[in-house]
Amino acid sequence: MNRSPVGNLAGSRPQWVTLIASGLIVIGLLMTSVSWWFLLLCAAGIFGPGLLREAGVLHDQDELQLLAAYRAGYHAYIAAGLMATILVILFRSSKETIDSAQELATLFLALLSFTWFLSWLISYWGPQKAASRILFCFGSAWFVFAILANTGKEWTGWTALLLHPLLSAPFFLLGLSAKSWPRLTGLLLVGSAIGFAWFFGMFRVDHMALVNKAFTAILFIGPLLGGGVALLTATKPAKALQERNGEEDDTGDQDR
Amino acid sequence: MKPTHHLANHLRQFRRAADITQEQLAERVNVTRQTIFSIEKGNYTPSVALALQLAKVLGVRVEDLFELRSGANDEP
Repeated sequence: MNRSPVGNLAGSRPQWVTLIASGLIVIGLLMTSVSWWFLLLCAAGIFGPGLLREAGVLHDQDELQLLAAYRAGYHAYIAAGLMATILVILFRSSKETIDSAQELATLFLALLSFTWFLSWLISYWGPQKAASRILFCFGSAWFVFAILANTGKEWTGWTALLLHPLLSAPFFLLGLSAKSWPRLTGLLLVGSAIGFAWFFGMFRVDHMALVNKAFTAILFIGPLLGGGVALLTATKPAKALQERNGEEDDTGDQDR
Repeated sequence: MKPTHHLANHLRQFRRAADITQEQLAERVNVTRQTIFSIEKGNYTPSVALALQLAKVLGVRVEDLFELRSGANDEP
């Protein structure tokens, strides 16, 4: 195999391509408050590396990373195709409409990006490690949100500030249990996703606009459901191999 | 059609016998440590090229590293 032109792949530090792409995405998102044309910077960060790889200019990924990217693309195609089909059926058979074409386009961009990213993480890290890290991110975001929602102008007292962030604890616990008890955690995640769907009124008609519902489903329910389904459906082969090889390591992080 | 064979691998045993870490092995075959980890866990089957590289670095044959085992329902 040819040596990578961007250096050694073996380390766990992010590659410079990832750093530049992430920087472009963050700057692009921040600058959209100035002009939406800056979203082009986000596009460069999200799609630029893939375009360069397809053009044969960039060789920064190994075969597992490329396979994960191809699988993620296939999954994004399925998710977006299903969403498009459902929307066509809804619009053709009822009086449901979407007021803004911008919302529709943004919805598809969010769905494609989310599905691609989640699938890539699960394919590359494996379901257990991916679900664990997703849950830690989810819990951290919830923790920060809970603190911000109880400070400054929103100050409601020390009790609220101390108790509200505790709601993130179940996500951290599930993140820890994903590696040791993947099936149980998977079940709990799917249950949590259904609970969140009920909480956000996904099963009620006309509670929220169609696009709002879809965004909520992607951002809040998607990570839990995706992680749960991945844990429930993809743990058997790895476990079977471990048993055959007589290995005890189930943590996913041991090096030696 | 249900697969009737599964691929077992002994990469971890041979790597440990060679006294090298996942990161060192990954560096020698120019992949990420996660790729070595995924192969050892049985989550990923490497390409022929990578399998040959791994065997070469560890000083064994590919057949020693990877083994095709029959399923329980297969005829002998």
